[in-house]
Amino acid sequence: MSKKPGATQALHKVIMVGSGGVGKSALTLQFMYDEFVEDYEPTKADSYRKTVVLDAEEVQIDILDTAGQEDYAAIRDNYFRSGEGFLCVFSITEDDSFQATQEFREQILRVKNDDHIPFLLVGNKSDLQEKRKVNLAEAQARSQQWGVPYVETSAKTRENVDKVFFDLMREIRSRKIEDKSASNGRGKDRAKRKKKMCIIL
Amino acid sequence: MGPPPVVTGISPKEGPPGTRVTLRGEFLGAKAQDLIGLTICGCECLLSAEWKSPNKIIARSGPGKGRGDIIVTTRNGGQGTSTVQFRGYHETIGPMKESAVWVEEAPMQSLVWGRRALSPTNYQQEDPLGLSVEGNDKKFPEDELIELFGDGSGELASEKFHPGWFLLQHHHATTLDDLKAGLAYLRRKVHSQKEGQLSFLKANVGSVMEQLDTIMLLKEQFESDVQKNGKDPTAKLEKAIKDSMAEADKLFHDVLARRDKADATRNALSLMQRYRFLFCMPVNIEKNIKGGNYELVINDYARVKNLFGNTELEVFKKVLNEIEVRIGKLRTVLRKKLEEMPVTLDEQKKIIRNLVNLAAEGDPAWDAIASHAHYLEKSVTACINEYLESENAGGDDSSKTPKSNGLTPTSVKQLRMQQNEENNVPPQVLCVEAICDVVTEQLPDLWRLGQSYFTGQLHVTVDIEKQIPFKSLVLSSMQHAVDAMKTACGTNLDASWLLHNLRRIRQTYASLIHLDLPSEALDIFGKYLFDLRLQCLVALFKQTADKITALHRKETWKIEYLNEHGGVTRLPGLFEEMVLEVSKLARETVIACGPRELPLLAHTSHQTLFHNAVKTLFTAFAKCLQQLAFSGSEEAMDDDESSVSQLIGSPVGYRTRDKQQGPTWEQCLLISLSNIRYTLNTIIPHVNDALKQHGYPPLSLTMSSNTDWTQLDTLDSAVLDAYLERRCDPLVGTIEPSMYLGGLEWHLDIEPSHVRPYVQEALTNLIAVHAEVRRVSPGLLKRVLSHIVETVAEELARLMSCVTRFSPSGAVQARVDITLLTSAVHSYITPRAGSFFEEALDAISEPVCKEDSQKVDALLRKVASSMRLQLACLADDSADGIILKGSDPNRATTV
Repeated sequence: MSKKPGATQALHKVIMVGSGGVGKSALTLQFMYDEFVEDYEPTKADSYRKTVVLDAEEVQIDILDTAGQEDYAAIRDNYFRSGEGFLCVFSITEDDSFQATQEFREQILRVKNDDHIPFLLVGNKSDLQEKRKVNLAEAQARSQQWGVPYVETSAKTRENVDKVFFDLMREIRSRKIEDKSASNGRGKDRAKRKKKMCIIL
Repeated sequence: MGPPPVVTGISPKEGPPGTRVTLRGEFLGAKAQDLIGLTICGCECLLSAEWKSPNKIIARSGPGKGRGDIIVTTRNGGQGTSTVQFRGYHETIGPMKESAVWVEEAPMQSLVWGRRALSPTNYQQEDPLGLSVEGNDKKFPEDELIELFGDGSGELASEKFHPGWFLLQHHHATTLDDLKAGLAYLRRKVHSQKEGQLSFLKANVGSVMEQLDTIMLLKEQFESDVQKNGKDPTAKLEKAIKDSMAEADKLFHDVLARRDKADATRNALSLMQRYRFLFCMPVNIEKNIKGGNYELVINDYARVKNLFGNTELEVFKKVLNEIEVRIGKLRTVLRKKLEEMPVTLDEQKKIIRNLVNLAAEGDPAWDAIASHAHYLEKSVTACINEYLESENAGGDDSSKTPKSNGLTPTSVKQLRMQQNEENNVPPQVLCVEAICDVVTEQLPDLWRLGQSYFTGQLHVTVDIEKQIPFKSLVLSSMQHAVDAMKTACGTNLDASWLLHNLRRIRQTYASLIHLDLPSEALDIFGKYLFDLRLQCLVALFKQTADKITALHRKETWKIEYLNEHGGVTRLPGLFEEMVLEVSKLARETVIACGPRELPLLAHTSHQTLFHNAVKTLFTAFAKCLQQLAFSGSEEAMDDDESSVSQLIGSPVGYRTRDKQQGPTWEQCLLISLSNIRYTLNTIIPHVNDALKQHGYPPLSLTMSSNTDWTQLDTLDSAVLDAYLERRCDPLVGTIEPSMYLGGLEWHLDIEPSHVRPYVQEALTNLIAVHAEVRRVSPGLLKRVLSHIVETVAEELARLMSCVTRFSPSGAVQARVDITLLTSAVHSYITPRAGSFFEEALDAISEPVCKEDSQKVDALLRKVASSMRLQLACLADDSADGIILKGSDPNRATTV
């Protein structure tokens, strides 16, 4: 089944990024299995894939849940390369995680070599308003600066969980259509990117 | 078949062997047992799989390398698919690196068999750049490398070595400065290799020279050796080696030969042993059979069969044949033993097992069952025969009654004899006991044998078809036993012995019930038991009836005044007592239901039987009473004359009565009459109530169907008639002679001064009868006297009508006589008697003048006063009867 996923259905590859413990896995599991996992277990790199109906069209979503911990920073590049869209998650109860989003954004842009890559800034743990450290305005300001949407979610209450994934998939889809129409230009771009990489190495 | 499992999530998606992987998906099984297969990258991981929920499984990855599917197999969903993949990779494990599983540390050296350095640091491949690989633990994805470099390789020794691959693989995290340093290091190394040769020689010229010298020396030595030993110095060596080989072979062969010999000897010995065993077998069999060691024989036989079963040798065959013959004999012996009775169940089972082990033909177990059943039947028949024999013997001996039999022979009976103190136990009883013993001892064995046969405990192939014959076998043997008992009990037996039999058979029945026999079999017994109970019931009542008939011997004629009905003797009381006793006994023994018994008197025909039985009791009592009532008749006939004369004259008979021991017949009649009345009025309701209380069916049915079912009423009137006849006839007969005594005629003109003597006599006689009846039973006065008075009145009427002419004074006299008599007996005058008296008065001519009637009145007054006592005797005396009882008829006659 997984051998030719794209044969009949479109496949959108989503990558979860963000600091450790902000709830990337929680969001993923909530989206995938309607399940909220209380106990924290640091992720290394998890892979999920299922068929969803996006605007009356059956598509496959492939979620790569990455490690937030710094220990794994070195391998992030590899993962990022395969991503078509990113959910950059921070916890509204932890300012450090919000600050870290900047770094993630830069790394993604660098790896993807694309300023308009589908990207959502996600403020998780919105159910813990009383512990909020990152105020809404601050977050919104940053999202506007980047030119990306900002959504606050709660993996616990499932608030906006579906929304972030579907919004991102819609962006990926429109982006792909765009790419197709200008496939020549993109193709060149890809070749250029590859070349560039070779130069680095 | 449920939906196939799908794995849609994996955490983490890659890792070295042994990585703890969380699989998520759908339809992963409803419970842990549903999970029957799990492969990750083609590696079986079910062993480590931990089923958490239908959506989650935790497992550890296997040693698979590269990307692969995760396939879950469930009991209901079959083999599943996965939308995600796991990538397994192998890490280089160093001393500083933890690993969950054993990873082959040096794959290239592992090919070299033999010595290798033990320290793990030694075979850690040194980095050609002289750089630390620490920090490059995170692998660069292999597929990306393949994508980038095609079919290159990162291996230094590989022909397809690609430096880019190598760098990415090992140093993708190394900084550019470090890489530069590494390059410099590499260059230095290459340079030193290129420049090194000459300088090396220069530095070591001394030792090089020395080596050259040594080589020269070696050459010279070699050449001299060649001269000394010829061209081929190895020939000698070869020869020596050959020699030593031959020597070694010799030694070796020697040892081998010895071992072979030992083996051969051992084999021969064991063979001998075997032969000895075979040849001794017949003797051994004989011996063991004699000693009863059948198991041993069977064992040996099996062994012989095993060892020599398909031998071709004549000798062996001969011995085998002999053994077969003996075994055949044993089989027949065992078979005979099996049929020999009695044997215990265990022993029988043992024999059957032995026979089965000896591969006897046929079905020994079934034969055993059959012979057991046969034996049972035989022993029952033997019991019967014995009984018959003993009866005959008893008949020859002295009397025909089985009771007198003192010669009851043989074992079982003698045991019984000891229990019964008397020696005169009827043989029927003994026979029944013996049969019961036989049944209780052998039937359970037979049944158990059959049970074990059909449950396959006897090690024979169970023939289910035989269940029906077995059942019929059991049934027929039971039937036989029951028939035998019927024959034994059939002849007339005492009720007590019948009861004894009943008890015994009940015991047997109870023991059979415990056996779980089929109900048909039990019913055979139960039915007989029921019949026996009926028989017992009838016998009991019959016995009591006999006893009641014999009651007349116990009559003492002692009157006890119980109630207003007057005196009765103790006979009715005894009768009641006996009836109650027998009913109680019957209830306790016969009627009472044992386990699995039917209520005895439920059926109408059985009730009728019971009613008839009760009826016999009453009939017997009636007979007894009749006998008593008429017992004095012969005696009375003898002194009939004197009795009349006593009545006529001075009735001394009444006086002498006290002297006599027995009562007169008349008294007997009276007493019996009273007893009958008492029985009818009191005893029967009593008995009826008592029976009802004891749970017998009510007697009312029988009673209503026949008015005089006890025959007591008939007896009553018969006795009364007899009594009246005895008393009335003389009394009435004396009136006429007395009237004309002394030549008195009614036409004679004699001045009447008193009633005539005939009236006085009649009155006196009446008083005598009155007294007699009263003494026995005041309740009978009315019945007896009214009857007598009637007869007297009739006689008077007849006499008066016969008178041809009355003189005036005669008429007065007659009128006084009749009137006085009428007034004297007025309390006993029936309408019929009254009319007779009227007739008598009418026959007397009317008083001609007033004077005459006055004369009559005066005379009546006078006579009444003078005969006051007599008149008072006959007056209705319900109030002062007791006082009058003492009045002596003698005194009246003296007046």
